[in-house]
Amino acid sequence: MAIIDPVDREEAERRGLAPVLDSFADLGDPEAIFPRILAHAPGYAEALWGAMDRASGEGGVDPSLKEIVRIQLARTAQDPYFSGLRSRRAVAAGLTEERIDAGSGVVSDDPRFTPAEEWALRYAYLMYRRPEEVDHSFYEEGKEHFTEAQIMELGGMIAIHYGMQVFMRTLQ
Amino acid sequence: MQFAPEAIDAAFYDRLRVHYSDAEIVELGAFIGFNVGYHTFFRTLDFYPMFTPDGRLVSQEESRRIYGDRPGSHRSASVVDDAAAADEKTG
Repeated sequence: MAIIDPVDREEAERRGLAPVLDSFADLGDPEAIFPRILAHAPGYAEALWGAMDRASGEGGVDPSLKEIVRIQLARTAQDPYFSGLRSRRAVAAGLTEERIDAGSGVVSDDPRFTPAEEWALRYAYLMYRRPEEVDHSFYEEGKEHFTEAQIMELGGMIAIHYGMQVFMRTLQ
Repeated sequence: MQFAPEAIDAAFYDRLRVHYSDAEIVELGAFIGFNVGYHTFFRTLDFYPMFTPDGRLVSQEESRRIYGDRPGSHRSASVVDDAAAADEKTG
């Protein structure tokens, strides 16, 4: 049970959150705990989940790679809630638990990942463990694999997901 | 939240409830999480304020000289140093 009680489901639906709650069923949480907690603050569930969902599922970077990144970040944050969610779309596209676990481990020279995927996974890993290593030369390396737009997409996705994961961690 | 999240436990939230409603606590927690996430990301991008403390538009190089490599309040940047940097630039 979360430390802050989620808003009653009917009340959340009355506030227009039914589409958000439904999207959590697709992720494996039919109780939709996170958005119902956010629903205490008017407008937060729609805005924050809207940004998180778009960051994960839209843009020019492979959503399956971003799903591996998202889960790696949740494990870094030690957040069991977001660690346990899975994108149905990514799983349908062939993402496996073995590959997810590999993405949370040592990815350097792992033949399961392309150099571009390896860079993205190191980007997420270093961001909240050793951000001082994410410097000009690190970004220059990233530009060998991604456009600047894709790098900003990855960075923004990493930032909002980690931020909400570290908050959610404290509520369990 | 950023440095010792394990210290934010049920007892911590009970103490918060003495001062804040659940809606306010969620508002604060989400705000803090959002800022923890984004400011760490922004730090890696190595950019600086566009303006001096007294409101003058400056280049990134000059801003770095004024504000330094370490984060701090814009109020702590010295306008005197800013003027000195401008003098140095113009010779």
